[in-house]
Amino acid sequence: MHAETRAPELHGLLAEYRSAQELLDATRRAHAEGFRAMDAYTPYPVEEIAEVVCDHHRSRVPLVCLIGGVVGALSGWALVWWTSSIAYPLNIGGKPYNSWPAFIPVIFECTILFAAFSAGIGMLALNRLPEPYHPVFNVGSFRERGSREGYFLCIEAGDERFDRTRTREFLTATGALEVHEVEA
Amino acid sequence: MTLFAVACAVIYPLFHTGRPWLAVYWLLPYPNTMGMWPNFRSPLIWDVFAVSTYGSVSLLFWYIGLIPDLGTLRDKAKNLWQKRIYGTLSMGWRGSARHWHNYEQAYLLLAGLSTPLVLSVHSVVSFDFASGQIPGWHTTIFPPYFVAGAVFAGFAMVITLALPLRRLFGLQDFITDKHLDNMSKVMLVTGLIVAYGYLMEAFTSWYSGNIFETYVMKNRLEGPYRWLYYSLLVCNVLAVQPLWFRRVRYSPLAIWAISMFVNVGMWLERFVIIPMSLHRDFLPSSWDMYYPTAWDFSTFFGTIGLFLALMFLFIRVFPAIAIFEMRTLTPEAKVKEPAH
Amino acid sequence: MSAIDNPVPADRFRAPDELRGVAGRALVVGAVAAAATAAGAFLDADGFFRAYLVAWLLWLTVATGSLGLLLIHHLSGGRWGLALRRPMEAAARTMPVIGLLAVPLFFGLDRLFLWADHARVEGDHLLEHKAVYLNPVAFTARTVFTLALFALFAFLLARRSAAQDVEGDRGKAWSMQKLASIGLLLFVIAMSFLGFDWLMSLDPYWFSSLYGGIFLAGAAIASLTFLILVASWLAEREPMSAVYTAKRFHDFGTLLFAFVMFFTYLCISQFIIAYQGNLPEEVTWFKERFHGYWAWVAVGLLVFHFFFPFLILLHRSVKRKARTLARIALFVLFMRWVDLIWQSRPTFVHEGLPVTWIDAAATVAVGALWIHFFVRALASRPLLPVGDPALREVLGHD
Repeated sequence: MHAETRAPELHGLLAEYRSAQELLDATRRAHAEGFRAMDAYTPYPVEEIAEVVCDHHRSRVPLVCLIGGVVGALSGWALVWWTSSIAYPLNIGGKPYNSWPAFIPVIFECTILFAAFSAGIGMLALNRLPEPYHPVFNVGSFRERGSREGYFLCIEAGDERFDRTRTREFLTATGALEVHEVEA
Repeated sequence: MTLFAVACAVIYPLFHTGRPWLAVYWLLPYPNTMGMWPNFRSPLIWDVFAVSTYGSVSLLFWYIGLIPDLGTLRDKAKNLWQKRIYGTLSMGWRGSARHWHNYEQAYLLLAGLSTPLVLSVHSVVSFDFASGQIPGWHTTIFPPYFVAGAVFAGFAMVITLALPLRRLFGLQDFITDKHLDNMSKVMLVTGLIVAYGYLMEAFTSWYSGNIFETYVMKNRLEGPYRWLYYSLLVCNVLAVQPLWFRRVRYSPLAIWAISMFVNVGMWLERFVIIPMSLHRDFLPSSWDMYYPTAWDFSTFFGTIGLFLALMFLFIRVFPAIAIFEMRTLTPEAKVKEPAH
Repeated sequence: MSAIDNPVPADRFRAPDELRGVAGRALVVGAVAAAATAAGAFLDADGFFRAYLVAWLLWLTVATGSLGLLLIHHLSGGRWGLALRRPMEAAARTMPVIGLLAVPLFFGLDRLFLWADHARVEGDHLLEHKAVYLNPVAFTARTVFTLALFALFAFLLARRSAAQDVEGDRGKAWSMQKLASIGLLLFVIAMSFLGFDWLMSLDPYWFSSLYGGIFLAGAAIASLTFLILVASWLAEREPMSAVYTAKRFHDFGTLLFAFVMFFTYLCISQFIIAYQGNLPEEVTWFKERFHGYWAWVAVGLLVFHFFFPFLILLHRSVKRKARTLARIALFVLFMRWVDLIWQSRPTFVHEGLPVTWIDAAATVAVGALWIHFFVRALASRPLLPVGDPALREVLGHD
């Protein structure tokens, strides 16, 4: 009796390169070929690669940040105004209850607080982090080198133009050091 | 450094409330059964908002900045627990270009937001004093003067800590002579801005024609604490002047010595502003002398110890210099436009 | 290294001939406006002096602010400064003209300043105390000295810069940097006192230690907006169209954004401190400026001098287009004028019309005449510092 084994589902093909320049060239060629469901992995940000992979779309983080800031400003203002004029009015030095100059610092801080956290948490959310498992970690050389000195390009099986053998040939043709299969 | 300094700083206002276990309960706005709310017109509450915003945004910024490096540490980890801890903290970071795309934006925004935040925090702290009516406290130059003073003291502290570390760990290739040159220039410029603040205070003290305002200046020059004021001028104004000269800016020992003067000088400045303005204000019958007690000194040295302990722990456990940012400086990192 | 180290011949960046036409037109407009202003002086002397004060201060801040930005540029480097160096030098070199344009004001010191009126000072304890500083002789001496000092630094920097064009660098950049370091120090102190003298002393009972800083920040904005207008005019013509690229304008826009924020921060700080302290000697200045319709001017300043530029300059695309940025800059320059009105006029006018036709005439007169000399100074030298070693950065790709 032997246990049934199925061929593991394929997430995609991972190609390794020697430098950021090679990875950039390969990514550009892949984009030109029509691949869209792909991602590049670098140990540090390379703007040009990110542009290609994201299909020149702009990040949505600034918008999230702006919305956060506006919400922060309104919340801050609502907090100070409501507590000082309605909920718990205090006569401080004869100043009016709705003493707006005195409210400016708190409103300003709330704006920055909400904007900053929106940017940070929004970025994590847009990146779908935390993501403890990702198929690409199944590849040994990625685990070893990925975050430190490796430059990788992964073309996902889900892409319309993906074909196990032809995509592998394409990647090798772009100058990959090695092409790995990524288990899902 | 920011976070540890804030941690140390927060101890003082907490203690000074007299009943620190109630302080959080009094200072933070939350609905309670008594229907009470803090006084939002008070700069002390502005301070709560400013410092906690500053602390939490700095923490966020610091953490977000660490994520890629935590990923590296996860990959380098030798034992399972290290791997698990760094792995959890790094949130599964894998260096994806799509992630870097959003990450870079967030990092830029956080940096962009932090700048007005830094300005505002120290301005709000200055409002703690400037909102009052005590001469020597109530003066409009305080916000930019405190901000410049903070940058001044901050750079001096960075130099005090970084230069010995640079020597000990052989970091000369990361913290280069050019960096030292630039840090010295910042110290010089902020020192000059602080000196400008002294000049403006002195001028308006006279110009106001207000006897109480004028007396503050007279007290600083002739009163019982005058030697502290003269020392202040020596430490903060005179001691930084050698930094005009290139030779001094390229000598780590000289820069370090000057930074020590500035550390002392900035403490003196706070002393001049706070006790010296308070001990002789409007009513001569209320005049007295302020002498710090053993508890004041022990709290002070305690916070210095706390700060250093946290710094050493940090260097032991986390990368002291952002690894991923250093990588962008290597030759392999250069990318060019394609030839066509 | 060859003795003459020019990467680019000076001819390449000669000012376009059209500039001469601009100078001529400015002179004509200025002369006509000056005649109108002079007529105004006879019809309404008080109104004339108040209008002329604001007009002169606006263009003073444009010129002196340019000197300040030039000094900062020599110390910090940066492509924005390299691209703007010649316009900044040209504006700074007109300092003697600014001095001459101030002359009419000295005939009306007693109408403008309480402390200049001997009858008012006598018997007033506070004014007598300040009289050693606030008296017509000392005041005039300080202004003359300050403008002379600025003219000297402008001259020294511009001369080295011009020599650099012809002879190549040979240590000139370094010597300009050294000059700039001592220059900036003196500049900041002198400008602060200029602000104290000409604006703060309008209400001699009031004082604010931050006022010098606010005057400096206002000057930075006034000069930068003017320089942006100059750059946008030059960008549409040869030879500067390749130099004033979208990236350069983006830099200018970012700087303007920063200066607007900084200025607002200083003004709000001053206000919050006065508001919190609520001291009678401090509050009167603000009360005058929030009285009646002046409160609406204050709100207008908050909205149009801060919120509008702040929000619109957040967008990258806005900053990159020369025409759009120029329009925003012109608007902000106009708001500088409104701010100067708000700072000075409430001392004199509490109800009725805050501004009259003399304000417009005086501002146009002083401005057009100054611009005439500015343009002549700008056209007399190459539009880029061709001998500067860092020039390649501005001419190259970025």
